[in-house]
Amino acid sequence: MDITLFLQQFLNGLSIGSAYAIFALGYTLIFSILGIINFAHGAIFTLGAYFTYALIGGAFGFSGLLANAALPVQLPFALALILGSTLAGFVGVAVERFAFRPLRRKGSDSLLTVVSSLGVAVVIVNVIQYLVGAESYTFPANIYGNLPASFNFGTVEKPVPIRSIQVVIFCVSVTILTILTYLINRTKYGKAMQAVAEDSTTASLLGINSDRFIVWTFFISSFIAGLAGSLVGSSVSIRPTFGIEFGLKGLAVIVLGGLGSIPGAVLGGFVIGLVEAFVPADYSGYKDAVAFGILFMMLLIRPQGLLGRRFVQKV
Amino acid sequence: METPATRTTALFATFAVLLTACGGTNQTNTGTTATNTGATTTSSAIPIGIAFAQTSNVALLGQELVAGAKIAEKYFNDQGGIDGTPIKLVFQDTGGEEAGTINAFQTLINNSKVVGIVGPTLSQQAFSADPIAERAKVPVIGASNTAKGIPQIGDYVARVSAPVSVVAPNSVKAALKLNPNIKKVAVFYAQNDAFNKSETEIFQQTVKEQGLELVTVQKFQTTDTDFQTQATNAINLKPDLVIISGLSADGGNLVRQLRELGYKGLIIGGNGLNTSNLLPVCKALCDGVLIAQAYSPEHPGEINNAFRTAYTNQYKKEPPQFSAQAFAAVQVYVDALKALDKKTDVSKMPLAQLRTELNKQLLTGKYQTPLGNISFTPEGEIVQKDFYVAQIKMNPDGNNGKFTYLK
Amino acid sequence: MAGFFATYGNLIVLMVLGAMLGLSLYLPLMTGQLSLASPGFYALGGYIAAILSTKVFITNSSLFPIPLLLLEMLIAGAVCGLLGILVGIPALRLRGIYLAIATIAFVEVLRVISLNLDITGGAVGIFGIPQPFQTAIEYLWIAVPLLIISMFFLYRLERIRVGRAFAAIREDELAADAMGINPTYYKVLAFTLGAILAGIVGAISAHFLNTWNARQGTFDASIIYLTFVLIGGSKTFLGPVLGGMVFTALPEMLRAIADPEITGLQLPTAIAQFLQDGRLIIFGLLIVIGTIFFPQGLVTPDLFKRRRVRNNK
Repeated sequence: MDITLFLQQFLNGLSIGSAYAIFALGYTLIFSILGIINFAHGAIFTLGAYFTYALIGGAFGFSGLLANAALPVQLPFALALILGSTLAGFVGVAVERFAFRPLRRKGSDSLLTVVSSLGVAVVIVNVIQYLVGAESYTFPANIYGNLPASFNFGTVEKPVPIRSIQVVIFCVSVTILTILTYLINRTKYGKAMQAVAEDSTTASLLGINSDRFIVWTFFISSFIAGLAGSLVGSSVSIRPTFGIEFGLKGLAVIVLGGLGSIPGAVLGGFVIGLVEAFVPADYSGYKDAVAFGILFMMLLIRPQGLLGRRFVQKV
Repeated sequence: METPATRTTALFATFAVLLTACGGTNQTNTGTTATNTGATTTSSAIPIGIAFAQTSNVALLGQELVAGAKIAEKYFNDQGGIDGTPIKLVFQDTGGEEAGTINAFQTLINNSKVVGIVGPTLSQQAFSADPIAERAKVPVIGASNTAKGIPQIGDYVARVSAPVSVVAPNSVKAALKLNPNIKKVAVFYAQNDAFNKSETEIFQQTVKEQGLELVTVQKFQTTDTDFQTQATNAINLKPDLVIISGLSADGGNLVRQLRELGYKGLIIGGNGLNTSNLLPVCKALCDGVLIAQAYSPEHPGEINNAFRTAYTNQYKKEPPQFSAQAFAAVQVYVDALKALDKKTDVSKMPLAQLRTELNKQLLTGKYQTPLGNISFTPEGEIVQKDFYVAQIKMNPDGNNGKFTYLK
Repeated sequence: MAGFFATYGNLIVLMVLGAMLGLSLYLPLMTGQLSLASPGFYALGGYIAAILSTKVFITNSSLFPIPLLLLEMLIAGAVCGLLGILVGIPALRLRGIYLAIATIAFVEVLRVISLNLDITGGAVGIFGIPQPFQTAIEYLWIAVPLLIISMFFLYRLERIRVGRAFAAIREDELAADAMGINPTYYKVLAFTLGAILAGIVGAISAHFLNTWNARQGTFDASIIYLTFVLIGGSKTFLGPVLGGMVFTALPEMLRAIADPEITGLQLPTAIAQFLQDGRLIIFGLLIVIGTIFFPQGLVTPDLFKRRRVRNNK
């Protein structure tokens, strides 16, 4: 493999991987606190993208209940992104309140919580489709100002193009990783969160209001989901199911990286992205099988993932 | 412990009520139809079943088909229906799955007592549900099924959607006309979709027949959105022409990402990209994409004029191919019913006989539709003369665009 | 009644098949293992039947001979059982959500492979699968006995030594191990039984749906079967049977309610429209409500005990 081609595939891998990573960050955060997979995460990811799209004044097509509707405002992208993600955060809080907390109160089997989150995902996706139709929408080309469509990491004769949006996503996911790591390891909030994760009963005995921390965790996770959805949505297009489709790959990513491990989510994303990029073109049809095959093998060899903690069997 | 049991019982009771509600009323229904089996009611409208996807992501294609069928219903009823008897379209949602399609067909055949069915949306669904209609001896006309083997499902299955083998090669020829220097071709296709798989085989064959070099075949899934790898893989081989068989969302993203990554040559889209839903996906970057058409809004003729006017009045844009094909499918039923009515009064015919006679009639007729003059082979395959190639022209702002027809 | 069966015959068959798919997920759950592999085996069983009936067992008769269908079911069950053992032995060392994810990965890998192979027909799949029966409802001749056999089998299973071993592992695997029950053996056994059942159901479904393709065994299907079991009830085999039937019928029930020709009710257009287009929203809400208010599922063993106590009084 010549060096240009290698560089291209390597950057392709990082580019795809950064989208997986940014999706997986909020996903794994919930697991790290509650020990459950929140399948609604993909739906909130989608919802965040739709909020942002609506806030920048994007119009919807002729199907759905809100046919041809558009908000009277046209916010700049950065502002819409923050506002849209915040709205997604609130939805996350509502989901926690109505679909997770009642189950936690009863001390239900965590598998039931997984099913409940799936129900939420089905509702959100179909509400979106009911309201604005199943069409795909693309963010306007000018939201990132004067960035060129792609950066060339190679030479003029031997170009190695990467789309600018992917570079933005890469930077944002590394930034979120840094902030989250700081938040969890260095702040009081993070310590409390870890305590809740370790043992919520003991944590409440220590005077930590675990419900409040769980609500915060959901807010942060869903805020990140909304942010990620909007960014990935600006790279590709948005449609009601796009987050759910990401969700399955996202699951592979967080398990590979180590369930509940924040750096693991990013690492897992890059690993799967790189593996997919290096699947030879002739076998591109097997791309997804490779990702899930690695996941399967990984689980058999090292179920705690690349960076996860070994789970202790409680007797 | 008391509450869960009570709740369970309550829920059971609800389900039981629901079930009996459906079952019970059905029995009364069968009661009334039992008296009616001799002849379909004289005054009521003639029901034609429309089974398209109105939910799930297949709904995207379904919407355009539904729009075309609705315009046909209004148009032909305004024309006086079948000798004064109006037609009534009965819509049943198939969803995106096979099982849902079978359920929709069963409901139309047994509950709504339709004389014939238009649909379903996807070829996969047709493979699953059309045999149901075949066994019930109910005619089916596919309006969007382009995969190989659809009319061969049975005697009662026909289609007005020209198969890919006929339509697809036109766009390759048009591309060669625009740029005679094309040598290297890269082909992309969505491997998880039946009709794209059939279509790409035709495209690849055409490429070889035209003496062009097929430099790469890249596969993707209709659910994919990121094509960085596939696109750069192809661009590295410096193709002069890219051919994409996919659906609007994935195809649109692929077009956009190819352009953003610096691909400058011509792009041909397959039938799945043949919808205005493509335009919001790749926006300004859709510009120049070539798509073969089985329909042109500019086709001369009175009926197309009427259809086009009605469509543009209602939806404020030119009618797409799928709407025209759905219109044509309904029209085939209407014209065949009229022809049949001249021989024997269709309102007096028993339903089973009407369905069989209608099927025979529709296969022998010739129809002047918005698609041009069409007829069927004895197998039920469409015979259509006019095909077109359209090129997408976008406004500079990327928000609006249209299909312009090449000569 | 004839009209009812003509319209809903196929739905009834689908309900019976749904019940069995629920059971195939319930079997590993009897040992406390959440496996979502059923759709993979279901898809495999379907492919086996589809390939055999279109390429190997070519007959001239208009109806596909039923003995051949039974043979296909046998082969599908055997192949799925074998694969179940091969996958089960390594995979069942995993627990809880890890096993669930591993089985999701297994299903996805199978799906992608079937999309890429020539023998499975890629995305087009296999169509024109011959019919063993004239009408859809006659599939009940195969489906209902199979359901009854599986239910009887499970009824017995829950009462013999093996079933008690399953329950012991479900309650406390370590304790069961200490008592001399070999957990791996029983877990693989339960998993394999589930695989066999899913494979057999797949073989019937391939004929029933007339066509078979890679869209049949997907992650979405896993979720739907899981819903069957958890909402139906995961503590007794009647739960998945009921869950499978109710949730298969639910979308069609909503379709029927929305149709004035069926109910005779003229619902306001907006509501009728919502029942039609928004039925998946209702479906999702029911899942959430079900898990919160019926955490044991609709059918629980307590329900029967309670009844029995009352009867005794």
